[in-house]
Amino acid sequence: MKHRKSTMFLAASAAFLAGAAQADDPIKIGVPVGLSGANSVVAPSVVQSAELAVAQINEAGGLLGRPVELVVADDGSGAAGAQRAFDSLIFSDQVDALISMQTSAARNAGLPILSRGNVPYIYTSFYEGGSCHPNMFVNAWVPEQQVPPVVDHFQAEYGAETYFLIGSDYSFGRGMLEFTREYIEAGGGEVVGEEYLPMDGTDWAPILSNLRSSGADAVITSTAGGAPNVTLTRQMRGSGVDIPYANLAVDEGTAGDMGDVATGIYISASYITGIESDANAAFLAAMAEHFGDDLSTPNELSVPQYEGILAYAAAVEANGSTETAGIIEALAEVSVDGPRGTIVMDHQRHAPLTMYLGRVVDGGDVELVTEFDAVSPGEQCPDL
Amino acid sequence: MPDIANTTQPAATRPALSSRRLKRIAILAVFGAAVLVGPLVLDPYTVNILVRAFFVAIVAVTVDILWGYSGYLTFGQGAFFGLGAYTLAITFSEFGFGPWQTIAAFGGAMLLGVLVAALVGWLSFYPGSTPLYATIISLVLPIVLVQLIYSGGNFTGASSGVVGYLTFTFMTDTWFRIAGIATLAVTGLSHVLVSSDAGRLLRALRDNEMRCAYLGLDTSKLRIIVLVACAAVAAAAGAGYAAFGGIAAPENAGFIFGTQLVVMVALGGRGMLMGALVGALSIELASAYLSSVLPFMWELLVGIAFVAVIVTMPSGLFGVLGAAARRWVPWAFSAPQQVMLKTAQARAETVQAGIDETVLEAHDVTKTFGSLTVLSGVSLTARRGELVSLVGPNGAGKTTLIRCLADGREASSGTIRIGGTPIDKLPPHRVVRLGLGRKFQAASVFETLTVADCLRIARAGRDRPSLVTTSTDLALPAAARSVVESAGLDARLDDEARYLSHGLKQALELAMVLALEPELVLLDEPTAGLTRAERQRFAAILTDVVEREQLCVLIVEHDLDFVRQISSRIVVLHQGKLALDGSVEEVVNSDLVNEIYSGHKVAKGKEVSQ
Amino acid sequence: MANLLLDMITTSAILFLTSAGLLVVFGVMKIINFAHAAFITVGGYAAFVAHEIGLPPLLAPLFAFAVGAALGAVAEWVIVRRLYARPLDAILATWGLGLILGQLVVLGFGRGVQFVPPPVQGTVAVLDTEYSLYRMLLILIAIAVAICFTALLNGTRLGLSTRAVIMNEELAQGLGINSSRVRLITFAIGCALAALAGALLTPLTSVDPLMGLPYLIGAFMLVMVSSGSLPALAVACVVLGGLQAIISTYFGSVLGGLTIAVFAAIALRLRPEGFARA
Repeated sequence: MKHRKSTMFLAASAAFLAGAAQADDPIKIGVPVGLSGANSVVAPSVVQSAELAVAQINEAGGLLGRPVELVVADDGSGAAGAQRAFDSLIFSDQVDALISMQTSAARNAGLPILSRGNVPYIYTSFYEGGSCHPNMFVNAWVPEQQVPPVVDHFQAEYGAETYFLIGSDYSFGRGMLEFTREYIEAGGGEVVGEEYLPMDGTDWAPILSNLRSSGADAVITSTAGGAPNVTLTRQMRGSGVDIPYANLAVDEGTAGDMGDVATGIYISASYITGIESDANAAFLAAMAEHFGDDLSTPNELSVPQYEGILAYAAAVEANGSTETAGIIEALAEVSVDGPRGTIVMDHQRHAPLTMYLGRVVDGGDVELVTEFDAVSPGEQCPDL
Repeated sequence: MPDIANTTQPAATRPALSSRRLKRIAILAVFGAAVLVGPLVLDPYTVNILVRAFFVAIVAVTVDILWGYSGYLTFGQGAFFGLGAYTLAITFSEFGFGPWQTIAAFGGAMLLGVLVAALVGWLSFYPGSTPLYATIISLVLPIVLVQLIYSGGNFTGASSGVVGYLTFTFMTDTWFRIAGIATLAVTGLSHVLVSSDAGRLLRALRDNEMRCAYLGLDTSKLRIIVLVACAAVAAAAGAGYAAFGGIAAPENAGFIFGTQLVVMVALGGRGMLMGALVGALSIELASAYLSSVLPFMWELLVGIAFVAVIVTMPSGLFGVLGAAARRWVPWAFSAPQQVMLKTAQARAETVQAGIDETVLEAHDVTKTFGSLTVLSGVSLTARRGELVSLVGPNGAGKTTLIRCLADGREASSGTIRIGGTPIDKLPPHRVVRLGLGRKFQAASVFETLTVADCLRIARAGRDRPSLVTTSTDLALPAAARSVVESAGLDARLDDEARYLSHGLKQALELAMVLALEPELVLLDEPTAGLTRAERQRFAAILTDVVEREQLCVLIVEHDLDFVRQISSRIVVLHQGKLALDGSVEEVVNSDLVNEIYSGHKVAKGKEVSQ
Repeated sequence: MANLLLDMITTSAILFLTSAGLLVVFGVMKIINFAHAAFITVGGYAAFVAHEIGLPPLLAPLFAFAVGAALGAVAEWVIVRRLYARPLDAILATWGLGLILGQLVVLGFGRGVQFVPPPVQGTVAVLDTEYSLYRMLLILIAIAVAICFTALLNGTRLGLSTRAVIMNEELAQGLGINSSRVRLITFAIGCALAALAGALLTPLTSVDPLMGLPYLIGAFMLVMVSSGSLPALAVACVVLGGLQAIISTYFGSVLGGLTIAVFAAIALRLRPEGFARA
């Protein structure tokens, strides 16, 4: 089939001929990410860490002697934008792999196109779990990894037996809290309330009134990132709730920005900037050097992006080519030593992770409470 | 019932029609060829983008029909699209992929669309609802629907959408052709529909819904039917979108998508199917290429372009281009067809009507606004062949009385019978069907329709308009025809009503009212703003028609000379009460009238009780 | 129970504050300002800027009011007044204006969440419970706005002109009232009230480019139900806001979020003229 490329709008797109790879043809990594929409807050940091990874690979001589090139596309943080981004990366830019963090809606929307284009995909965002595709690997946490540290700590430290769960009404919010409820109940605790506010809701008052009258020992929330997190935290503090409080959806940076209302919040993460390891120190130094004043602080979403690219590089080296079937086999085996430690995506396309339980202290810093090694992602994709 | 003679004759005798048909076929052929050849010359990415754009364009066309043509600004068409997408996605997820599932998915999508649209239509359109209210309801629909999707758990996939079902495994090129042909078919059929006799009703609704109601058209029902049809098409497009994309997501149903559709139609050109089509395709294409390069700038640019187009060129880019094309290459546009003016068959029952028959009986009619009583206990009867003038100073309740007689829901108490039937609680179009015709104080016609089309709308209740063809005849009852001819409107049948003089508009509206073949005609200050000569001619036409057709006319007038000249009886209203009811001589010479009129010499002019 | 009662009252107060600006525009100009949500957002950012430049917290709402009024006046002058003859187009243009304002906010401040420290914190003992102090304050502020507004409408020359335009624009023009000036001021005040609401909300919410959007539909429906009358709006806010709090408490906030839209739509279907004269 012959295809004439419409160059009208495409300024920078290359590759007129989809022929065999030549020695100096770059290996292309596509990054569909929410440059606009909900994820646009975190997207710059994700793109930066991807850029660092690619720069480091190229400095070391590239992959199989070929340079690596990054192609970033906006997925608009939603389904329609993601389909466009996947189309453009796979069919127009003809990337060899996709590596990115996306909303669940965007990821899901991209999967059918992934099947048609048959390229490997590393998903680098924490999510509610259970998303499976033959071409997809995940190197970030799922509820099975994030929730147990929180609940275990609340039980051990505060003797908490009754819990109140509050979430934003969307897949992540509900998915996280459903698992949390099961985990609490399996451990002998009791969930005395589980309430959701629509994504764009702003008035948490009735939920907070129910929380106060429930007499729960502890509260665990899983709201959409950004605004709902802030409104809930502010209104919760404003209404005088002072029981132990864990937020499953707030990252280190936002918690710090929220000011003193955030003090005392527990967060559970696979990455915090304070991890004391040589790999993390080297990573942070390289980021600071590479981006200088423009640096977006590395976080729970940008670090897996960095490691995802390193994992793909390792898989290409192991496989000896970018051919998809081989890469998929290799991705399940290769290990990466990154800022979060050694990571292998060998558990049904997911990875065991070291989880950190932190607590926001005065001034917005996150103090490390305790860490849990090699927490298993559990049964995510038993059919793969 | 069209026989062969009927179908072939127009083409033979009127070349305009055949050239028009030829042009339609040519345009269809060009687009059809483009759809077939497209995948061979476009790169795969563009082909992919265009497949989705085609499905979006189909909904945009329905938005154009609803908004551009019939004047219902809706943000809700995206919801019907989403409903269709989810129906297919859920059907395929729950029951697997196969032939019967496909039929069930598309059939179910359209059926659901129809049901939801009927509910939304019932909520949005009823006698007395405002366009603004209908628009707000169109915003509520996607918000409620998306909330239901979010709350649907695994069934609807909540915020992540339904994904991972098996669907058609066509090549993208095949999808391009399927979606492209579907788009062409929808646009083509819509074109036939909107340019048909029935399609003209849409523009009449847009221009002047009140006039439509007072021409006996059930505007609410009409709007609901159009919405239901458009919803079914949008749902089918949504199902196609989900079949191709392999996902149904909340944003496919959300109100942001609904507003984007409106933006596409506005930029492309509302009230032009091509405008909607081109607007949707180009915005989809451009945003696919530009949104990655300039994620935020792109939305800002769209916003600015949108506002600029709304403010400075409401007909959109396509409208401006079209106007330019009309100016520079006029030969490409067919000249308007010659309208054949004919006389319609009179209704059987009016021919033998008795002269003494009572047409209007109002008994003890009272109207209050809160504690304010505007009309109290007015009783009145009028018979065929009578021309009754209703006089009284400003604020006497004349226009209120006219309103009560024309709309069964207006009066606070009392009974009104027209042709013997009580009109309690009946909306205007039902009252009109009892034999009422109402001419408003300010000429109320369809501004963007031609004179001939305005008159055809008035006949739509009697001669059922075709959904497919465009008639070239204009059959009017004798009375309406005589008004058209004596006012000289027959020479301007092809002109749009907005270009008529004030006097001609008044005449046109009278002709439209008479085209209803009414038994009772209400005229509210029909001569206001007319020149003396026009007024004289109007008096002649009116008395002539009353005499010949044995109509019953109730007329509100300030000009006592005019009243004296034409009336067979005069009714005086004063402070909401019936003060006098008698012959011209009795009333004109009465002390009361002299007192009222000498005391209110300034009363001439507009009444401000609106 | 006391908690529920307070939730009902404070929810009503928030609804009133966030829809009063829309009502003003609707009452006089008979159009719905679709940029209302954007002006609420503008107010939030104005409060943020006020904080950044070091204005005392008490002045932040006034600063927001001024910013909203200025932007509203410009918008009326540049866009809305050209569309008086086309009310539905005016609505669309305000929607476009909302898009533009939203994107300008994103370009100027970024997509992220901004923080304005709340002027008061903590709870206060009311009835037999502890309740958020700031929410209690909002009740007083809502009442104050209602009183100021009624005074403006009934006690000033501008108010008189405005009421004349509301009742009969043609007649008002005939009496020498400059109705386009009234419209300009009305639109400016409507936008200013929206911005004021945005600033007043900042202690309860985050400041982000979409912060106004959640209030839009509720405000639309409340204004439609009250058909342009301020007392009717107050009643509608108390009734529907109270109902929302009750439904949220007992049936979950998801259903609670739909309360106003659904009940107002049905109420309007059953009583098309609205509830102004009820």
